[in-house]
Amino acid sequence: MSGSRRSFLRDLTSAARDVVAAATEPPARTSLSADELERYSRQLVLPEWSERAQLALRRADVLVVGAGALGSPVAAYLTGAGVGRLGIVDADTVELSNLHRQHLHFTPDLGTAKAHSAAAKLAFLNPGVLVEAYQVRLEEANAAGLVEGHDLVVDCSDSFATRYAVNAACCAAGIALVEGGVSGTSGLVMAIRPGESACYRCAFEEPPPEGSVPSCAEAGVLGPAAGVIGSLQALEALRLLGGVGEPLTDAFLQVDLATHAFLRVAVERREDCPDCGGPGPVRAPA
Amino acid sequence: MTRTLDVTGLTCPMTWVKAKLELERLAPGDVLTVRCRPGEALENVPRSAREAGHDVTVQATSVRIVRR
Repeated sequence: MSGSRRSFLRDLTSAARDVVAAATEPPARTSLSADELERYSRQLVLPEWSERAQLALRRADVLVVGAGALGSPVAAYLTGAGVGRLGIVDADTVELSNLHRQHLHFTPDLGTAKAHSAAAKLAFLNPGVLVEAYQVRLEEANAAGLVEGHDLVVDCSDSFATRYAVNAACCAAGIALVEGGVSGTSGLVMAIRPGESACYRCAFEEPPPEGSVPSCAEAGVLGPAAGVIGSLQALEALRLLGGVGEPLTDAFLQVDLATHAFLRVAVERREDCPDCGGPGPVRAPA
Repeated sequence: MTRTLDVTGLTCPMTWVKAKLELERLAPGDVLTVRCRPGEALENVPRSAREAGHDVTVQATSVRIVRR
């Protein structure tokens, strides 16, 4: 690590710590503080949002899987909106080729762990949110342990293997999930309430054959396209957590930004789905 | 129930945010009287309350809102 980068990170960490330390009094449990009222005023003023929704959001514990192109807008919007705790999982380090679309990471972050780089920026954004960084790759073997205890998981991963592992773990634990994916200028978003609505595997029974779908590195992606999909995921997460509006369940939204087409595709829950329909009860979400 | 809220020390949109949250805590038919400063607040608070579907009457600088 170069001296200037070390110095930048040291300054950033120290500044983030100061911001946290300077945060106002701990919020009362049943109402919003004056600071929170002002910070969240532009969402509280919305007819569909309410103090009750804001308090539900403050109680929520969310896990964002991936601190990349989708994870950046998702984590930033949820932190800005006032989620109580936010865990961010990513095993990778920041690379130069990430920066055009992964806007929680800056040039001086090159070579540092994405989870920690993201957490430092999120602490600046909203010191009232408890942000936890997990520098680990979510896999089938550790998925259950990582998602455990969370109210909602937002899957911002870039591999089908991870996506299926996250879906299976969330279904088994009865944890609400927002799925998303982006490639080129198109993407997909789906909200899932395990035990109540169709899961990702109900919609897509098997992962595509290895090599049949180009990776992000092969296919490329435009930053704003990832931003749109990540923003839609964040919106679904806020709907599920705040209990407001109609979440995008039993359907997925297919977005083609080359033609400006948004297509809502209905999905039915499959009784024989190995993740959400098989033997062994799926715990109803709280 | 009748409640009174003084937002004369606030600027928009906090005037309506405070009133909206107070209304959320009331039951349908309850009355909230909001004391506003003349000008922007006295225009915005009644307008936002009407847009939210509440019954609104304005007397001088007091906005009487009946929760829907």
